[in-house]
Amino acid sequence: MAELMLLGLFDNVETTADVLDEVRVLGVKDEQITVMSNVPYAAKIFGRKPARLWFLPFTLGGAGVGALLAFFITFVTPQLYRLHVGFQELTPVPPTAIVFFELISLCTMLGAFIGFLLQNRFPILTRRMYDERITEGYIGVEVRAPLGVAEQVVKVFEAHHARVIQREDAANFKPQGIRHLLFWGAVATGGAVVLAIPLLLTYDVVDIPWINTMADTVAVGAQEGPRLAAPAESVPIQGPVLIAGEPATKPLPATATSLERGKALFAINCAMCHGMAGDRQGAEVGKYFPEIPASLGERAAALSDQELFLVITKGKNRMPGLAENLDPGETWDVVNYVRSLSQ
Amino acid sequence: MLESKAVTGPYWEQPDPEDERLAYQLEHGREEHLLLDARPPAELNQVVLNTMQQTGPRFWVIIAGLGAMTLAFLIAWFIQIISGLGITGLNRSVMWGPYIANLIYFIGIGHAGTFISAALRLMRMDFRRPIARAAETITLFGLAIAGLFPIIHVGSVWKLFYMIPIPNQRELWPNFRSALFWDMTAITTYLIGSTLFMFVALIPDFAMARDHTTGWRRKLYGALALGWRGAEDEWHRLEVVSNILSFVIIPVMFSVHTGVSWNLSMAIQPGWHSAIFGPFFVVGALYSGVAAVIIVMIIIRKTLRFGYFLREEHFNAMGIFLLLLTLAWIYFYFAEWITNWYGNLPMEKAIQQMLTGPLAPLFYLMLFCNIVVPLATLWSRRVRTSLPAMLVIGIFVQIGMYVERVLIVAGSLSRNELPFNWVNYTPHWPEVTVTIGTLAFLGLLYALFTRVVPIIPVWEVYEGQAMQQVRRIGRAIAPTRTEVH
Repeated sequence: MAELMLLGLFDNVETTADVLDEVRVLGVKDEQITVMSNVPYAAKIFGRKPARLWFLPFTLGGAGVGALLAFFITFVTPQLYRLHVGFQELTPVPPTAIVFFELISLCTMLGAFIGFLLQNRFPILTRRMYDERITEGYIGVEVRAPLGVAEQVVKVFEAHHARVIQREDAANFKPQGIRHLLFWGAVATGGAVVLAIPLLLTYDVVDIPWINTMADTVAVGAQEGPRLAAPAESVPIQGPVLIAGEPATKPLPATATSLERGKALFAINCAMCHGMAGDRQGAEVGKYFPEIPASLGERAAALSDQELFLVITKGKNRMPGLAENLDPGETWDVVNYVRSLSQ
Repeated sequence: MLESKAVTGPYWEQPDPEDERLAYQLEHGREEHLLLDARPPAELNQVVLNTMQQTGPRFWVIIAGLGAMTLAFLIAWFIQIISGLGITGLNRSVMWGPYIANLIYFIGIGHAGTFISAALRLMRMDFRRPIARAAETITLFGLAIAGLFPIIHVGSVWKLFYMIPIPNQRELWPNFRSALFWDMTAITTYLIGSTLFMFVALIPDFAMARDHTTGWRRKLYGALALGWRGAEDEWHRLEVVSNILSFVIIPVMFSVHTGVSWNLSMAIQPGWHSAIFGPFFVVGALYSGVAAVIIVMIIIRKTLRFGYFLREEHFNAMGIFLLLLTLAWIYFYFAEWITNWYGNLPMEKAIQQMLTGPLAPLFYLMLFCNIVVPLATLWSRRVRTSLPAMLVIGIFVQIGMYVERVLIVAGSLSRNELPFNWVNYTPHWPEVTVTIGTLAFLGLLYALFTRVVPIIPVWEVYEGQAMQQVRRIGRAIAPTRTEVH
């Protein structure tokens, strides 16, 4: 029984500060003293130095991890799974900035929290000296001292009217040691497993055929159902138009400008199913529709210009009509471009 | 060694001044200020713990009522899942209706919680002390319930995995160019951050509850307190980590409601496509959130008998806060409108249907609730310190802000760019049931939560009481607060 642990409870910060002064005079080092309270008293109040803090590496480390995660989502993932939307670049700036901000914030907070737990050695898994009256407002002073000094410390405690004095052999209080490491190791492993499973699925490391019912949806085409007659007061417009029941007229000549326009419009409106070359290559939606022709140029060669115009405007089978998206002039540009595919 | 001062009793047993007038003033000050009215923590711990442990039949009646309404919400949702969104009043033009308005509303009331805790903490406002936890709890459950609404709204819940923010694996819709994805990241960050912030501040209170309860509660709180002893190093780190979390979470809080507003304003839709939408939504969220906190404060003060903790001074301070936010909200709303109005674009003029069209009654109701009621009343201290008056004002603001969201979402959509798409939206029974049911669900979760978690952060109150003293200035006694770092 070389060392004793002592715990005294005091009413007031003044008394506690006096006790600490006197205990220090007895030769007890500051590290051997712990002051406990239910109010965050600053160390200065008891004439002690505050503990050294290690939050900076944790918060900076957290921010770094957040930045790496954001980089992975915004730069690496789009490279792994290339998805071209319109003519935008794969990693557009505004969303990237937002994802970076949020993930850095999140991981900074997580880092600070983990730093808080680790610096305090939380959770405490071993028994420690404590008295429940500390949460009733009394201030506890825990002193670890060799036997002879401890007797003098007890006298100091008594002289300052300590409410309670506990004494116990210091050998009864073991440091947490390996148990703490094991606990955090288990938490970290569990967390890594929980994170890894969805990521493995997401990034196709483990491939699961997801259920996709897109091809089974009931689509109502624009060509179905009774078509409303134009209102009596509607005004006829100039240029190539589509009049119900009559073939479309006045195709545009396939000039270079028309083909160029047609290509851009085809990229926007058609390529997601047919592919840029009309061969379904690189067409994201087209993967789910086996009935899309493997060669659009060949299929189109069998149709007249007017028929092509009608298919584009009104749709066919599961292909939707594009009358809302393309005006008649633009539609003729697309017809020209589709014609150019088979050449 | 310094000479010891004469004061030897604990801070809650300070001697009264001998002068009779000063003693009288001090007595009065104690009635008014929570932080001057120090009482033994042993007694106050029991006040808080008793409210958690003693549950009367009235509580269970309320729980049953809220539970029944929650059940109605779940049944309505189930019917909507098997029949499809067609049974709601949503249509092709108004494809976002009350569900999205509810999402905005619940995130909005969740805003004030963290703002009151984090911002007022950094600004060292003492009136936050007994309120902080009650407000943070609204954040927690408000966000959780807001998170339900995208799920309810998609209709086909089994396709929910489309929303998961890993961009391109399925090579289709979920890609991170979508404002919905930004919003989802922001809300997730905010929910996790708020939970951490709340949990850190809860640790000393869990330790308090651990020390003074028995049975399963003692085990539960013992585990949650993580071995807290209240050592000065632990306190020091707790203060620092709370400050770090506060500093990070305030910009995140702003980003959350800005993100929600971008869901709307990134679309070229008359009434939405406006640069001021972000800050306007943040102010609106704080406005409805602070009003929600006032309502909750009144309810827990009445039902849990927290008259000691929640005093007139707190309602007064929250009333002033609400008044400031009213003015800010009016300014932002006006600034948003005046640009459209002055521009006189035909498209934007469509939303002015609110002045005379079918939505006019709702529009004027919103102006009445959000502008007339608070401005006409909150300037008076007597109103701010009267609980029934504050309850009524709080409810008015909730109604006004809810109507505002419905007008923005459903109202704007019903007048879009193509006049042949114009429709008038009326909610059907599923939207109504789900909206009322989720409000009840929030109440249910909150009520059950108060059984398990100390809803007053007692250590913050003790800190204030231990650090506050009175000082004599001339013939008067005035409270002084001290900070030692």
